[in-house]
Amino acid sequence: MERIHSHPANPEREYNQPSSMAAPIAPAIELAGLRKKYVTRRGTFRRTKVENLALAGLDLAIQRGELFGLLGPNGAGKTTATKILTTLLLPDSGTARVLGLDVVKETDALRRRIGFVFGGERGLYWRLSGIDNLRYFADLYRIPPEISRRRIGELLERLGLADRKHDRVELYSRGMKQRLHLARGLLNDPEVLFLDEPTIGLDPVGARELRLMVRELANAGKTIFLTTHYMFEADAICDRIAVIKKGAIVAEGTPSSIKRVVEHQGVVEFEVVAIPADRLAQLRGLPGVGSVAVADHELGQVVTVHCARPADVTTQLGVILEGYALQKVSSREPTLEDAYIRLIGDST
Amino acid sequence: MRSLARAAFSSFRVSIRLRAVSPWAYLSWLLFPLLFATVGLFVLSRPGATATHLTYGFLGGGLIGYWGFAYLDAGNGIQDERWNGTLEQIFAAPTPLLVILLGKICGSLLFGILSFVPTMALAYFGFHALLPHFDAAPFGISFAVLTFSFMSIGLTLTPLFALWRWAFSMLNGFELGVYVLCGFMFPVTVLAPWAQGVSGLLAPTWATRALYASTTAEGPHDFALWWLAAIGLSVAYLVCAYFLYRLVDSRARVSGELALA
Repeated sequence: MERIHSHPANPEREYNQPSSMAAPIAPAIELAGLRKKYVTRRGTFRRTKVENLALAGLDLAIQRGELFGLLGPNGAGKTTATKILTTLLLPDSGTARVLGLDVVKETDALRRRIGFVFGGERGLYWRLSGIDNLRYFADLYRIPPEISRRRIGELLERLGLADRKHDRVELYSRGMKQRLHLARGLLNDPEVLFLDEPTIGLDPVGARELRLMVRELANAGKTIFLTTHYMFEADAICDRIAVIKKGAIVAEGTPSSIKRVVEHQGVVEFEVVAIPADRLAQLRGLPGVGSVAVADHELGQVVTVHCARPADVTTQLGVILEGYALQKVSSREPTLEDAYIRLIGDST
Repeated sequence: MRSLARAAFSSFRVSIRLRAVSPWAYLSWLLFPLLFATVGLFVLSRPGATATHLTYGFLGGGLIGYWGFAYLDAGNGIQDERWNGTLEQIFAAPTPLLVILLGKICGSLLFGILSFVPTMALAYFGFHALLPHFDAAPFGISFAVLTFSFMSIGLTLTPLFALWRWAFSMLNGFELGVYVLCGFMFPVTVLAPWAQGVSGLLAPTWATRALYASTTAEGPHDFALWWLAAIGLSVAYLVCAYFLYRLVDSRARVSGELALA
């Protein structure tokens, strides 16, 4: 694992950092050796048990007031980790504490102090209005009516839903639904907010608005645990990130420190149609090549090569892919996404 | 305590609102009970039928609709929550699931009572059926006891629906079985002795018996005994429910069955 320790990037939250004079403050979120596997059954007549390891000993410590991003591909264990931290799942072993409370044993106390928002359109009562959804959840969170009335009004205003609060949720756009999710997650004024891929499926404008809101919440002092597989999202708003792969952390640090994984490296990208596996293997075998990723694009593929000497790779491309129509060959500086791909490994 | 009561009432209110805009709910309280009542009234109003027979036709369709709505809606409600992605949301709220589902089930029961409106109208206007020996006080108490027994069964079975996705389809048959075993449309005395034994374990059997006795002159009228039997069995179900909810709290968090995936 590449653990790149750092201090929180946002100076506005310095007051939350423990000083040498004050008693140490427990981290907002602490995971130690967290493991979880799912057991499913396969087959119709001869049923066989299949075990899928979702978390393979996760260790993390997130300070109060941090906006922490957990990055990873689909199936890496991001949602499982979030569900354990929000008391929806039990770990098989290891410990998880949020605000010093054990997520397994102290659920009642913890549930009052955290909020969570899962990505996607589900999780709301579509046949009720936005305000009725919020009123219902406010009652389930046992918020006194005088407080919930004021807070619902403020949240609807702040999230730009006040004009449509009496409309049924089924009439809302996806972005509005996601903002309503966020309002629901903030109803109990949580100290820690868990956001599981909150911008998934949103258009660029909606996603950007939501990211700004999340950043504002972090600036206001809330601890935020965000999972995403959008690198630019983590780069744009997170103080610190961790990359998770197959249920284990492979790197942890600030976005800029994670980018250093691909320091002194370059990226060569090109488009090609039907590139065979043996040519990809040749590319991977070139000196200085760190990883080769292939993504489908329209009728062809976009190949991204991370390497130490882009000029050498560009020269070799013509030899290895002789007879193939190469398009849009370009060389550029690495981004956080490149660092992520390097950490996660080659994908074909 | 007040916040818990408010949460239960809020759940009740949402349940009513969701049912009010659901086409399925209208089929359940309006159409299906009417179909059962029509068939029942045709059979029970044949030549030679007594007033007691017609009483079963008068109330039977409504009882079937009431039970069907209370039972199926409890299961459907959980499945709907799972499909909507709200089951996890309500589970993770700091209100016990038992309290939330109590509100939902009470909402279902209120809707289920509506089943009596079309079926009794059909019996009265279509078949000139009456309740000639209607005794309001024991009828009202019997109906309350019956409602309590339905609520207890709903509260006991709902955690199973929350725990296992397949439970609803497996327990679908229970709906029809209860029509027969609890004597909604005819007395349980016509059943085989072993079936009567099973009937005796079902709280609605005793409440239904009391309900019919409060509208007819025939037979014994051991109301107190029947009410006690129904209430006792219902309380036993609730004790089971308490442990089932504790099981949900731990098992659902192991299997992740609250979500679709």
